[in-house]
Amino acid sequence: MTHAESQDLLLDLAYGELDAQRAAEVASHVEGCAECRKEKAALEETRRMAAPLRELEEPSPGFDDRILAAARAQAHLEHEGNVGQVIEVTGSVRPLGLEATRIDAHGPVQSRATRRDRPRWIVRAALGGSVAAAAALALVVSNTLETRRNAEKAKTARSDEYAIRVQTAADSLDGALRDAEVKRDKDRLETMKLEAVPPLPPAALEKEKVAQLSAPAHKPAKKKAGTPGVRIEGGGGDALGKLASRNTQAPARESDADRPAARASTASPSAGATTSGPPAAVVAAPAPAAQAEPRQPKSVAGAPAPSAVEANAQQARHAGNYPLAASLYRNAADLRQRDNDAGGAAWDLAHAVECLSAVGQFDEARRVRDELARLYPSETTALSAARRALREVDPPAAAPVQKNP
Amino acid sequence: MAQERTDEELLAAYQQGDPGSFEDLLRRHRAPLFTFLLRMLGDRERAEDLAQETFLRIVKGAQAWEHRARFQTWLFTIARNLCVDQSRRDRFRRADSLDAQGPGDEPPMVDSVPGREIDPSRGAESALLRPVLQRALLSLPTEQREVFVLREQAGVPFREIAEMVGVNENTVKSRMRYALEGLRKALAAAGVSEETAAEAPDPGVRLGRA
Repeated sequence: MTHAESQDLLLDLAYGELDAQRAAEVASHVEGCAECRKEKAALEETRRMAAPLRELEEPSPGFDDRILAAARAQAHLEHEGNVGQVIEVTGSVRPLGLEATRIDAHGPVQSRATRRDRPRWIVRAALGGSVAAAAALALVVSNTLETRRNAEKAKTARSDEYAIRVQTAADSLDGALRDAEVKRDKDRLETMKLEAVPPLPPAALEKEKVAQLSAPAHKPAKKKAGTPGVRIEGGGGDALGKLASRNTQAPARESDADRPAARASTASPSAGATTSGPPAAVVAAPAPAAQAEPRQPKSVAGAPAPSAVEANAQQARHAGNYPLAASLYRNAADLRQRDNDAGGAAWDLAHAVECLSAVGQFDEARRVRDELARLYPSETTALSAARRALREVDPPAAAPVQKNP
Repeated sequence: MAQERTDEELLAAYQQGDPGSFEDLLRRHRAPLFTFLLRMLGDRERAEDLAQETFLRIVKGAQAWEHRARFQTWLFTIARNLCVDQSRRDRFRRADSLDAQGPGDEPPMVDSVPGREIDPSRGAESALLRPVLQRALLSLPTEQREVFVLREQAGVPFREIAEMVGVNENTVKSRMRYALEGLRKALAAAGVSEETAAEAPDPGVRLGRA
C-alpha cells in the first residue's frame, strides 16, 4: 500500500467502508507512517467531538398524523377501488341510445397501473348503446357539501346529462401536499418581495404549484389531467363536444395547461359551475376526437410561459437532473428577457449557474455567470447567488460578494 | 414481525395496499430523517416541515417506486433536495436583509435557546455541547455539511452520497475532509477541544467566524 493510497482510504477506514483485507492493509501502513497516523488521529478526534450530532432527535408529537392520513388515503385509493361514495346517479343519455346505467363506485374499479403520477380511476359502465355514446358521460367529482348542492342542480339538468358524484380520497393527499407547497410558496413570495422582483401573477404561481405538485419529474406536466382523477373510458362522437361544453367546468385551482380534456369547454357554466369548492371537478370523457387534439399546454402554440419552463426546471433540479435543469433555466431566462423581465431572467441564469456547479460543469457555469453579469449588472442579488455557487472553485478574489452596490 | 422486514419489503407491502407497512417505515425513519434535516437547517420548525413534506412525497411517489435503489437513499435524496432548495432561499433572503454578513452562512441561533434541545435522558455534556457543535456545523458550506451529516449521522456510505448529490465519490470524500477540517477549526475557535468537550463548555459560547 502506497502512502497516497493510504491517504485516500483513511476516511473509508474510519467509517468502516473497507473490507477486512483492505482495512488491514491501510492499518499496517498507518502504523509505520507518522503523517497518516497524525491524520487518522485528527480525524478520529473530530469525530469523537462531533459525536453528539449523531444522537437522534424526535419531531414534535403529532408529526405523523398528516403523513399517516395521506398514506392511508393513498392506499385506500390505490387498492380498494373505493373512490368514495356514489350518492346519486342522475340523468341518462337516452337520447344517444344509452340505457341509464347505475355505476357503483364500490364495485370493482380498475386502477391504471401505468398512470402512476396520480391514482386514476376508470369507471367502466355497462353501456348498451354505441361506443361513441359512452363518451357523452361526464363525471362529476365532488366533495360531500358540494354534492348536496349539485344534486339539486343535476336533477334539473337535461336528460342527456349523466352525472355521477363521487367523493374522492385523493383530495386528502393532495391537500396535504398542497399545504406544504403553499407554505413554501409563501416563503418564496416573501423572498421575491425582498428581491424587488415582481411576483408572478397568482395564476402563474398556481400553475407552477400544480405542475410541481402532481407531476413527477420524469413525466411531462401535460400528462396529468390535474383533476382529482376520475374519468370514464369510452369512445366518443359529436355528442361529446356538446355535452362537455355544458358539463365541464374546471375548478379554480386547475390550470388550463394541465387540463387538455377541458380545452373545448372552458367557457360555459353548467352543472359543474357550482362546484367551486377546491376538491370539486367535472371531467368530460375524452373522445377520440379530443385525444387527437394536441395535448399541449396552450402556451406552447406561441412561446411557452416562462413560469412553466421554470417549473419544469425546478422539477428537474429536485430530481437531481441538473444538466437538464440548467438548460431549462437558461431557456426560461431567454423567455423572461423577451418579456423584459430582467429580474426573472437574472434569477433563472443564477439558478442555471447553481445547477451547472452542482454537477461540476464549472467552465460552463462561469460562462453563464459572466453572461448574467454582462446582461444584468444591476441584478446584484442574483449575481451574488451565482458567484456563491462558484465560490468553492473560484479564488476568493474572483468571487466578491456585492453586499451594497 | 414488522421489525424484521426490510424497508423495501415494507414499501412493497404498502404498494400492495397495506397502510400499516407505511406506518412502520415512518416510525423507522422519522427520527433519522428529522435529525438529518435539523442538522442541515439548524431549525426545528423548518426541519419538521421539510421532514413532513419528504414523507408526503414518498406517499405520493410510492406507487411508482421501483426497487432500484435503497428506500433510505430515496428518502434522503428527496430530503436533501428540499433542503438545498430551502437553504438557497434562505441565502437569497439573507443576502438582501440588513444583517447580511457576506458570503458565509450565518447560522440561525435557534439551537442556542436553552432547553429546546436538551433531553434529560441524555448525557448533560452532550446536550450542552450540541448547540455549539450545531453552530460549528452550520458554519460549513452546504456542500460540505450535507456530506458530513449524511455520512456521520445518517450513515450513508460515500458511494451512495455521491449518487444522491450528483458528484463522484472522490469529490464526496474531499468535501468530507474539508468538512471535518472546518469543523475542527470552528470548534477550536469556539474553545472546544476534546478535553473541554468532556468538561461541558458554557453553552452560551458563540462561535467565532472562521
